[in-house]
Amino acid sequence: MKLEVEGLTVYFPYERIYPEQVEYMRELKRALDAGGHALLEMPTGTGKTAALLSLIVSYSLESPQHQHQLKLLYCTRTVHEMEKTLAELRLLASHLPPTTKSRLLALGLSSRKNLCVNPHVLSAQSRDSVDAACRRLTASWVRTLAHDNPQVPTCPFFEAYDRAASAGPDAVLLPPGVYTLGDLRSFGRSKGWCPYFLARHMIRYANVVVYSYQYLLDPKVATIISKEMQKECVVVFDEAHNIDNVCIEALSVSIRKQTLEGATRNLTQMSQEIERLKATDAGRLRAEYNRLVEGLAQRGNLAITDAWLGNPALPDDILKEAVPGNIRRAEHFLSVLRRLVQYLKSRLLTDKVETENPVNFCAAINSQAGIDQKMLKFCYDRLHSLMLTLEITNTDEFMHIQTVCDFATLVSTYARGFSIIIEPYDERMPTIPDPVLQLSCHDASLAIKPVFDRFQSVIITSGTLSPIDLYPRLLNFSPVISRSFTMSLTRDCICPMVLTRGSDQLPVSTKFDMRSDPGVVRNYGRLLLEMVAAVPDGIVCFFVSYSYMDGIVNSWNEMGILQDVMQHKLVFIETQDVVETTLALDNYRKACDSGRGAVFFSVARGKVAEGIDFDRHYGRLVIMFGVPFQYTLSRILLARLEYLRETFQIKEGDFLTFDALRQAAQCVGRVIRSKADYGMMIFADKRYSRHDKRSKLPGWILSHLHDAHLNLSTDMALHIAREFLRRMAQPYDKTGCGSKKTLLSEEDVMRMSEGAMDTY
Amino acid sequence: MYGARVAFQPSAATASSSKEKKRRGEDDDDEEDDNEGKGTEAWERAYADERSWEDLQEDESGLLRPIDTKTLVHAQYRKRLLLRSSTGGSAASRIQKGLIRYLYIVIDLSRAASETDYRPSRMAVVARQAEAFIREFFDQNPLSHVGLVTMKDGLAHRLTEIGGSPEAQIKALMGKLECCGEASLQNALELVHGYLSQIPSYGHREVLILSSALNTCDPGDVMETVQRCKKAKIRCSVIGLSAEVFICKHLCEETGGTYTVALNESHFKELLLEHAPPPPAIAEYAAANLIKMGFPQRGAEGVVSICSCHKEAKVGGGYTCPRCKVRVCELPTECRTCGLTLVSSPHLARSYHHLFPVAPFDEVSPHGRPGQRLPTTCFGCQQSFVGQGGAQPSLRTSCPKCNQFFCIDCDIYIHESLHNCPGCESQRNSSVL
Repeated sequence: MKLEVEGLTVYFPYERIYPEQVEYMRELKRALDAGGHALLEMPTGTGKTAALLSLIVSYSLESPQHQHQLKLLYCTRTVHEMEKTLAELRLLASHLPPTTKSRLLALGLSSRKNLCVNPHVLSAQSRDSVDAACRRLTASWVRTLAHDNPQVPTCPFFEAYDRAASAGPDAVLLPPGVYTLGDLRSFGRSKGWCPYFLARHMIRYANVVVYSYQYLLDPKVATIISKEMQKECVVVFDEAHNIDNVCIEALSVSIRKQTLEGATRNLTQMSQEIERLKATDAGRLRAEYNRLVEGLAQRGNLAITDAWLGNPALPDDILKEAVPGNIRRAEHFLSVLRRLVQYLKSRLLTDKVETENPVNFCAAINSQAGIDQKMLKFCYDRLHSLMLTLEITNTDEFMHIQTVCDFATLVSTYARGFSIIIEPYDERMPTIPDPVLQLSCHDASLAIKPVFDRFQSVIITSGTLSPIDLYPRLLNFSPVISRSFTMSLTRDCICPMVLTRGSDQLPVSTKFDMRSDPGVVRNYGRLLLEMVAAVPDGIVCFFVSYSYMDGIVNSWNEMGILQDVMQHKLVFIETQDVVETTLALDNYRKACDSGRGAVFFSVARGKVAEGIDFDRHYGRLVIMFGVPFQYTLSRILLARLEYLRETFQIKEGDFLTFDALRQAAQCVGRVIRSKADYGMMIFADKRYSRHDKRSKLPGWILSHLHDAHLNLSTDMALHIAREFLRRMAQPYDKTGCGSKKTLLSEEDVMRMSEGAMDTY
Repeated sequence: MYGARVAFQPSAATASSSKEKKRRGEDDDDEEDDNEGKGTEAWERAYADERSWEDLQEDESGLLRPIDTKTLVHAQYRKRLLLRSSTGGSAASRIQKGLIRYLYIVIDLSRAASETDYRPSRMAVVARQAEAFIREFFDQNPLSHVGLVTMKDGLAHRLTEIGGSPEAQIKALMGKLECCGEASLQNALELVHGYLSQIPSYGHREVLILSSALNTCDPGDVMETVQRCKKAKIRCSVIGLSAEVFICKHLCEETGGTYTVALNESHFKELLLEHAPPPPAIAEYAAANLIKMGFPQRGAEGVVSICSCHKEAKVGGGYTCPRCKVRVCELPTECRTCGLTLVSSPHLARSYHHLFPVAPFDEVSPHGRPGQRLPTTCFGCQQSFVGQGGAQPSLRTSCPKCNQFFCIDCDIYIHESLHNCPGCESQRNSSVL
């Protein structure tokens, strides 16, 4: 259908549209007009992606007055979401008028592992080894070698692509259209071109690029991939409720004992390599030295295949100076690294937890290992240059020394917003020594700042962004639009409840002093038992942590509750092992399909809580046992809280509650993925009934949380659940009627906008 | 001996009088109950059956107000009628209906059936309503057959063979009421599938599952069984007592049945009775074929003969099979000796109205169009439309053919019991005269 949003013709790929989608588009359009950033919260299942894509695509294709066409950079968290977005985009493309359609080029970009078509390379296991295998076949020196000696293996796809590209950049172009990763692969296969490098080339010309968060937020990757994006871009971060954590992770490094041992091995290997090179081709080392004297850390025009992960620091913070003299020679540099590794090793030997700030840490390195801050800063670039000189292709084996250099560069570049924490063992298992040195970033705004500065509009959107005023403070930006939309429903298809008491009227909570109380454990068990008997098909339970889940499941087993549960439904448990969990999920779905019924025990903040949907009969009820606070004794968290308080004036309690509640909302939001769906959510903890906690839940949950459902005991919850399930099983009219119209046709939208005009 | 076609030619229909009588009887019962209730003081009455608080509803502002049950019932009725006529059965497009039905009622006697959210227990409610349903079913489908299957302890058990006598079925059901163990949908379907696949092709195979349980404990893949039922053209319908279960929904969608979930006992009754009128015939079966039927004569009073069904001598009554002259006690049935289907002509006539239902009446706004004068009384009962004391005028409808106006009560009576429009009938008579 076609609709008008404030004078802009928007092509929408469906016959009907939800009213909140129209609202969403209107706000989005205003943000784009203003050329500013926006923060939009809209519940899942309301077609956020469709609304977003249709508006931005229509906006960029329909406005000829823009010199540069707006480009859409759409960031997703997972490859699966990327594919879904591209599928949506393809549907949209099929509804565009032919003239506009021919101008639309959209593609997904992912790592080599997902795009490579060379069977030899693909046989490698991990992402890094695929990258290394590709580099072994395509690095410029390998190809020069192959030029002289046909015995040296190269990648036929890349060679073909390179031959075609040598005729000029326009010789290798994708015809307009929407390309998923699979389409790129099959296009590459049919043409014999390497899809990965083709995609890398094509993102310059595409109107829409769908890729992962890292490609914009992680400076190591962003400098390589996204450097050439022009300012006229709309950047969308979808499912962005955890964007602050992504930003922080992009700038954090952790070093373990294995890392340092691996780094030592790498150093030995490199020094051998240098010795060999000195004997055979001393000129190459000298050339590098001369280049460094001239002040070029990077070698200038690198071949596209040689480009490697970029500097871990943000582009603005990289020193534009010559490499210091004392690490220009390869041997000298290696000895500096050796001293650094040795120093880090000595720090790991500590038997108590240490926290330090980067300034002190650098000073300590300077005094004890004799490496000054400037040398540390150049560590990464110098290593990069050395590895190119040594023509090292198996980069995956050199990950360890890279990590050490990442660390060195970051620790010396940033004085604020970071801290170094050395823990000799895991808090939960004090008997097993597992020393780890972490450089943790506390300031999410650091990594995202270049994105906000560079691009015209940045849209941050998700189903759970409440409280919506906290994100601008955390990420340190000022949005022009920040709105939270609610869902228009034909029937009350979500039923959130706060359960504060067990059937014996004693309060339930996972508060630290109460969680091991047998009464609380029993009450939680009774709750589950009552619910498995009353709720059909699938139930999902979320616990606050793995250790708590193990403990409570054990106690239930001893009390015989688990056996009773099994009479009604099969029990599946998430573990830290991905394969095991996937298997459990498969069988869970099977049990739901066949009518046997199943319960899935999972952990908030786990893989399942973030990425797996329990829609329709796979999740009729989700029980959140407790409030999923972070582990508050964690040093990293404490350091971050302190930083947030000092820098952004965010109180510790506020941030912890916000973080816990967004996780809880994320967990319970798993059950409802569309409007035709229905599901219940039980927040089983007395703390949820308090206003400061509850008010941080997203609006679309709060609007369905009636006052009567705020302080329930198990038997009352059971009664409500039964009534709700009966009511939901009745047939209903999907379009809604009268004032509660929830599916709008083209005429309805017209009428709506006319009505809006009249009121002005 | 006569041959009768399944698809009948239209002729003047006779309304079923027995049903009408029954309805009257029920009304009387209700009145008696009311009188009893009024006799005692409010605090002396047991509130368990009355549940007066359920008649209250909270509105948006949190105030309590009584549910207007009457308008609710009327609205529901209208909706159902329109739905029925839109899915088929309107006089204009004649849809063939399966009049000869072979129905297995599967009753869930698993552990979940002992729950007491229906009073006194789900099992008792199911049994009570099933009894009423079986009577109503035979009343509306005299040519059909019913059998009973129970699910308990993970097994399916055939309680009664498929047959045409309501009394035998009800007796068997009431004798076997205890519940334990799990329910197994697959076992029940397999069992029913085994029996129904032997049914002759003109018969419509149906299963009605009254399910209390929310899960099914199956020995194998229930999806395969669903596909086999679909292949065998068995129409499976489920009425759930507590919540929507995916596998039941899947089963009904695949086999063309309906899936409903009851809100409370009266809703359950309503849902169950919706299965009494025959469903539209499946397209593949639509080819009308001839079935041999016998119309036996009623035996003369005072004649002593041995009946074939009970194997005992009886005086008077009974029917004689026109082919083999054997004596049977009840109709409709199958002759024990020669296997002929024995019916009486009123049976056929009673099935007939399903094929030519009265078209649904159009709703008329109480004030009418300007310039049009509406009659003030109902054509059926001659009562005034305008309520006493300036009460809101009640809903009225008009027949699209004869344009006579009826009150909603007459509308219900015409469509549910009479199956003839008095307006159209009287018009025809006058034209003949």
